[in-house]
Amino acid sequence: MTSAGSAAGSQAGNEPDALALRVVARIRVAVAIGVAATGSFLPGMSGGPEWLFLVIGLLWVPWASIVLLAADRATSPVSLLGGPVGDVAVLFAVQMLAPGVAHAALPGYVAVVAFAAYTSGRDFAALLATGALTLTVTAQYVTPAAKVESPSAALFGGVLVAVVLLLDRTADMQRREVARSNRLEGRSDAVLAHIADGVLVTDAAGGVVQGNPAVARLLGRWEDDLVGRHCSEVLGLRAGERALDCSKGCALLAGGVSGDPALGREVWRAGTDGRRQPLLANAVAVGGVDGSIEVVHSLRDITKVKQADEAKTLFLATASHELRTPLTVISGFASTLRSDPDTDPVMRERALAAIERRSVELTKIIDRLLLSSRIEAGRVDLTLAPTDMAPLLWERAEALAAATDRTISVKVPGDLPAVHGDAQACVTVVDHLLDNAIKYSPGGQPVEVEMRGAGDDVVLTVTDAGVGMDAEQAARCFDKFWQAESTDVRRFGGTGIGLYIVRSLVEAMHGDIAVSSVPSAGTTFTVSLRRALAEAPHGGVTPGTEPSVIREFMRQIGVPMRIDA
Amino acid sequence: MKAAVAGLNLLLGMVYLSYGLMTIVDLRRGWEKRGFSHFGLAWIAMAFTCGPHHFEHGLHIAVAGRDGGALDLIAVVVGLPAGVTWFLLRVDALAGGRGDRFISGTPRWISALPALSAIYLVALVGAAGAVLAGGADFNPKMTPNVLLLAVYFLVGYYLARTQLRNRRLIGGWSLSGLSLTFVFPTCGLMHIAFVLYAAAGTYTVDTHGLVIDWLAVPAALYFVWVVRSTIYLQTFDDWNNSSAGSIPAPAAAPA
Repeated sequence: MTSAGSAAGSQAGNEPDALALRVVARIRVAVAIGVAATGSFLPGMSGGPEWLFLVIGLLWVPWASIVLLAADRATSPVSLLGGPVGDVAVLFAVQMLAPGVAHAALPGYVAVVAFAAYTSGRDFAALLATGALTLTVTAQYVTPAAKVESPSAALFGGVLVAVVLLLDRTADMQRREVARSNRLEGRSDAVLAHIADGVLVTDAAGGVVQGNPAVARLLGRWEDDLVGRHCSEVLGLRAGERALDCSKGCALLAGGVSGDPALGREVWRAGTDGRRQPLLANAVAVGGVDGSIEVVHSLRDITKVKQADEAKTLFLATASHELRTPLTVISGFASTLRSDPDTDPVMRERALAAIERRSVELTKIIDRLLLSSRIEAGRVDLTLAPTDMAPLLWERAEALAAATDRTISVKVPGDLPAVHGDAQACVTVVDHLLDNAIKYSPGGQPVEVEMRGAGDDVVLTVTDAGVGMDAEQAARCFDKFWQAESTDVRRFGGTGIGLYIVRSLVEAMHGDIAVSSVPSAGTTFTVSLRRALAEAPHGGVTPGTEPSVIREFMRQIGVPMRIDA
Repeated sequence: MKAAVAGLNLLLGMVYLSYGLMTIVDLRRGWEKRGFSHFGLAWIAMAFTCGPHHFEHGLHIAVAGRDGGALDLIAVVVGLPAGVTWFLLRVDALAGGRGDRFISGTPRWISALPALSAIYLVALVGAAGAVLAGGADFNPKMTPNVLLLAVYFLVGYYLARTQLRNRRLIGGWSLSGLSLTFVFPTCGLMHIAFVLYAAAGTYTVDTHGLVIDWLAVPAALYFVWVVRSTIYLQTFDDWNNSSAGSIPAPAAAPA
């Protein structure tokens, strides 16, 4: 049976040794530059030797550099074949132009052929060896001073043949072994690197010997920072309110925690932010590399599962309440209209208007919920571009003032700079903040909106003189499904996700949002968005980054730049 | 003329060295946040080999009383505006400015640049003929300067291609990019002017100059390798790598 793994392995087995190619390419460039530089320092040179150093400097150095650049792709023919061919040409030039040192070219040929046999196989190396022999003989005829004695020539030929056969065989065996080892190692590395669960391997004493990327993420550490530490230090697991005692061996292994060992046991640890991080943990003892016992821990972060549970409960409560109010109105009026077909036309019009108004309200609620879930899932991609906020602000404020019969005063300077943002997201932010200001100033107090440039930012403030919040409430007002008081849902309506959406969108546009509030006096939300540069995104310093001469050069030469989060 | 050649080469040397120091400061400042930058190191290597080349050349003329050729003066004068513009923009960026200026559309002076460059090149070839008319001795001492010419033109090509592509996207030009695009080829031409005068016997290539020029060759090759690896092969990430503008995942709530 042929498995996918063995097919891939056999393919991998035929690939040249990329590292050897790169190393030899670097050595070649270094030698070429070294020889050319040495030649330029030699005094009183003329004729053949001078030409030789010119050939090396002006032809071999550039060619070796091209091969070096090509060596980044191991399969490039320039890298595989071009390097050795260039080397042979240079050695021939040595024989022709500097016959006094022609014999030095012979070991050079052997080295080049040996490398070719190792990286490119027997056929190419044999071709190269034949070429080397032919060129050596040619050089003798053209330049008698480059003569090589017959025994030396025979020895040279024999060595070339031996080198080709030996190194081809060695390289073949090595390639097979490497392919087999890579296959096994690659499979296990791939499993460890890509598995979603954290895996931590400790020795019998609890010292960490290995951890995968998932466990590093889960524990909020670098992978390298885990190795060598004690598991109680890096994990700090607790079951209930009791810390697991790992001093006498692994507590998970010893059955110190209740639960099904096959499914994992529920434990928790203090996360990097000090909050509880619930985990499903498991441990198994395996034989280590040197025969010792090692413990493989698997850890799954179930924070989101827990959160999802809580969010689902909260969502059901909030959404049902929020949806029920307009539905009750719609249902009531629809029922009235149906039961009494002869309703007074004025009343009938009022009922239909109420149904329409409440339907719009329902649509808004559902849109908010959908946007919130898209944010939660990280599925909102914004197109950041220069956006003119002034017309947008006027339009939204006028529309809302007309719809609610409230006073909204807008102050925007005529030369307000554009922001670096997403137009649709800006509309959503403005709408939510204005809605919020009107909703929480039930006495009909005026709402003030101001926007101005401030250094590299453009600042939007929305101020109401409504119910306000205390410090603790203000600190939590951007949390999802949160409202200042549990009775607020009934008092003011709303799902408690508006400000969560606002903060998420502002941050995604690399901006900041802040709130200042005084109970019974009112609230001010301050949104700072980046000022768009006239030439953004290509013609100026990238927004959101500090000036960097290195990044500026990278940008100008065409390296794809990404904006800082 | 000697004084002008010496003065301008000394100025260019100082600009390169200052630019190298600026890049060291940048590399050091950004290291913790962004990690090591091959681009940064390659720039530093170039600045600290190109700078000393011009500095040493200027000193020889100013102090040792050597000759300064007209072609050399022209090459430096032609390259200087671009070099100084780029340098001043970097100083502007370090001082908190934008570090760039947007040129809307394609003004006449930019449209004229290709024609002016072609005229300059033709004149240079003609002038080279005049310089070499009295006889020339090309020897291995000139090799590094010829290699640098090739490398600088290659980098200039990468830069020009990006500027042309950006022009289509933004409907104008970046002054920073435009100046940098001209810095490299004009720098290469300064090296070729040096080679011409060395071949004609006007300039002497001495040991320390040769050491600096040979050090510049691997520095330039390293630079080309970094550029090619990041643009075409994405062999490694450098300081261009940071996350895109999508909504960050929400923070974990209390369990």
